[in-house]
Amino acid sequence: MLKGHLDMIVLAALSAAGPAHGYAIIEQIKRRSDGAFDLPEGTIYPALHRLEQAGLLKSSWMTADSGRRRRVYTLTRTGNRALIERRAVWKQFSDAIGGLLGATRPRENPA
Amino acid sequence: MIPDYLERLERELNFDRLLARNVRQEVEDHLWEAVAADTTVNMLAAQQRAIASFGDARAIAAQFATVSLAKHSRRAGATSVLVIASVFVAMKARIAWYAAAQWAISDDMRAVGGLVAQIDRYAFWLSVIIGLGGWAYIVSRRIPAAFHSGYRRQLRCFFLLCCAAAAALVVSVISDGVLTALLLLGTESSAGFLVAIFSMAIEIGCVGILVFHIRGITLRMASTAALLNM
Repeated sequence: MLKGHLDMIVLAALSAAGPAHGYAIIEQIKRRSDGAFDLPEGTIYPALHRLEQAGLLKSSWMTADSGRRRRVYTLTRTGNRALIERRAVWKQFSDAIGGLLGATRPRENPA
Repeated sequence: MIPDYLERLERELNFDRLLARNVRQEVEDHLWEAVAADTTVNMLAAQQRAIASFGDARAIAAQFATVSLAKHSRRAGATSVLVIASVFVAMKARIAWYAAAQWAISDDMRAVGGLVAQIDRYAFWLSVIIGLGGWAYIVSRRIPAAFHSGYRRQLRCFFLLCCAAAAALVVSVISDGVLTALLLLGTESSAGFLVAIFSMAIEIGCVGILVFHIRGITLRMASTAALLNM
């Protein structure tokens, strides 16, 4: 289930954190979900590359304090729009499911 | 331990050297940061944990392969349009040169020339239509997270469109070659021949670039499929 929403999760984490590198994005996801999303960390990187290709993110290289090269991702305007749309769809879906589950009553015994 | 893992990941990604180099640097930064954040004193255990949390190198490479394949397919689509446009420019420049130099096909070859010119025209416009169609098709597809059967079908369709555009362009360039040969045969040799030969070389080079890109797609499709057959 998480796999299908990975793009939205990454976009939301970047929107909250601002420009960030892969590790910081993963940390942001863990923190904001209270550790509920325990996915292999490496799967974030192909998703970041895919979102960048789709124009939802942009990246730039910088040198970290450690001296290592670091790739920092930023949400683009298109990415921001996409996140707003996905949030709206998610809310609609969540409300609908919530309504359905909330309306469930134990079946009465016909006898 | 981390260098070994990075080595393995880079090896798995060797179907795209630039991607492999960039991913290696990105992952290296990630893993060392995870080790630094680990509170245990045992450095080796911290590296082991960082690698285990990151995931299997081959599985991650397979996900990158899908992204890389999508990127190269889009690039091949754009290249096919650029190649066709370049052939058009080379063709028009040569015709303008013929007009300026007042060169024409000899009377006894005119009928053959007319037929070849017709083939050339239809083949070229066919390659334009198919090339533009292929490019529009691949650009309008979403980049998938996985190399699923639907995406494979889309890629096969795009690949066929690319092959059809390339085939039509090859016919057009061969026809151009025949027309150029007919014209040069009936003309006294001069330095102006170089213009015609040079423009033909550009056209042949353009077709070569297109074929190279199509071959690239097949190789990437094969390497992605191989990575997924883990």
